[in-house]
Amino acid sequence: MFKRTLLIGCLSFMAFSNLASAESDPKKWPVVRESFFGDRPMAEAPFISFTAPRRAESGAQVPLEMMVDQTQADANAIKTIYLLVDSNPIPLTATYHLTDKLGKFKLSTRIRMEMDSYIRAVGETADGKLYLASVEIRAAGGCGGTVDGDEKEIRAAAGKIKLNVESPVKLGEATQTTFMIKHPMRTGLQRDLVSQGFVPAFYIQKAAFTYNNEKVMDVDIGVGTSEDPYFRFNFTPKAPGVLAVKATDNEGKEFSQQTEVR
Amino acid sequence: MSLRILLGFVFTLTCCLVKAAPLQMEALDHDIYVHHGVHEDLSENYHGDICNISFIVGSKGIAVIDTGGSLKVGQQLHEAIRKVSSLPILYVINTHVHPDHIFGNAAFLQDKPIFVGHEKLPDAMERRRENYLRINQQWLGDAFAGSEIVKPSALVKGTLKLELGDRTLLLTSYPTAHTNTDLTVFDNKSSTLWTGDLLFVERTPSIDGDIKGWLSVINELKVHEAENAIPGHSSILKDSNWKQQLNNEERYLWTLLNDIRASIKKGEVMEKAMSTAAASERSYWQLFDIVNRRNVNNIYPSLEWE
Repeated sequence: MFKRTLLIGCLSFMAFSNLASAESDPKKWPVVRESFFGDRPMAEAPFISFTAPRRAESGAQVPLEMMVDQTQADANAIKTIYLLVDSNPIPLTATYHLTDKLGKFKLSTRIRMEMDSYIRAVGETADGKLYLASVEIRAAGGCGGTVDGDEKEIRAAAGKIKLNVESPVKLGEATQTTFMIKHPMRTGLQRDLVSQGFVPAFYIQKAAFTYNNEKVMDVDIGVGTSEDPYFRFNFTPKAPGVLAVKATDNEGKEFSQQTEVR
Repeated sequence: MSLRILLGFVFTLTCCLVKAAPLQMEALDHDIYVHHGVHEDLSENYHGDICNISFIVGSKGIAVIDTGGSLKVGQQLHEAIRKVSSLPILYVINTHVHPDHIFGNAAFLQDKPIFVGHEKLPDAMERRRENYLRINQQWLGDAFAGSEIVKPSALVKGTLKLELGDRTLLLTSYPTAHTNTDLTVFDNKSSTLWTGDLLFVERTPSIDGDIKGWLSVINELKVHEAENAIPGHSSILKDSNWKQQLNNEERYLWTLLNDIRASIKKGEVMEKAMSTAAASERSYWQLFDIVNRRNVNNIYPSLEWE
């Protein structure tokens, strides 16, 4: 019941925001920031950068790349990155937990955007310092969704994983890895015409990557991550081994895949 | 072209008056009237009048095929119909869910016609309602005033016949292609097929459904008996060889599909393919840079799972 109320709240918020101007609204960030980080201080992060379109061609699949120009050996090493979209009904899109196995963090993903918005990457150090980088993207209509298709087929396909490591691999150097998981990533904001309510949220909420059983990266995934979540990232294998991923959906189902690196 | 601009200017002036100025229609044989929208993208420079809008006058009444992108355009269409005929408006047909084809529906509520669409149209309209209302308001501003979603009550699953007295319209629904709500209308009397956006002429075909589904629908349409076709968008109906236009569209879609498949096989990223896929088609289509990039963005992620 609480969940339903929350969702309706999101929609009213969206309706209200119709009145705002067409361009990204900078007034939203203080509200989003306070709800996630309270009054904690936040410094600009010149070492975090984005590659993103100025205008997204499709709000459902907006390509976005993040780079952190430092390693885990750095005194102020970023341990966690929160990816937020100010104007989405659910701003937190993903949280990335980094390790030294990633080298310099570089990751491409695809996100949903409901309207023009600022994208925020908030980096957090081990001792809790916060750093902020922002980019503006113009976009429309990625959250409501146009759900269609056979429910049985969608459920049967959900959780299928593709995991590829660039080959031949150069041991000790940044190695490009692509992870894709088939999943509808239902936001909980899509209308259910039969019940007159909303289609329940159904999404991948976590992907944990390991190399020879040691943690490489954990990602907490939100519904702002596009259908069929996609991460392409660099990691640095020091020796041949096995890269594995375990993904979990919000109903508790687990999906895993692994690939040999040599 | 200059005449078009002049007409647009006249519309702009008259929109301030209480009564809507009638939409400019091209009168074809067999009591068919078509309005040609202009080729604008659905973005900031969109003015709500980009698609072909038609009406057919039968001995008992009138059928409207697509109503334009706003209540205002719908009202102008209504005026244009009343200049030609006072017969009842029996049917208002939407060829698919896109906002440039449906938002004039409300102008016909007073006539109490039967609104007709694909069996999936009411559902698709509902899912897109909030986004469409917000984004079209943003694009069109005051010119979107009073526009609302009006859903069909008569749904086409397979085929449906509509009687206009001396002529019968045959409506056919299709599996997901351009959208998941595509419908064609065939008028036997004039041997004319309204293709909706299953056939794009001049304007770059936009994919909001399933490219492979669309290619198979094109194969079906290739053997259709119709002598003439009225596409969803075109500047003027001068080319009666609609099968050739269908071939052009098929060529674009296959080129796009093959280029994307090759890009995925090479391990490229979607962002790169957005600039390179189907580049050989660039000179043949209007709005190519915008629409083709969007097509790649829309279909690349699902093709990665082939």
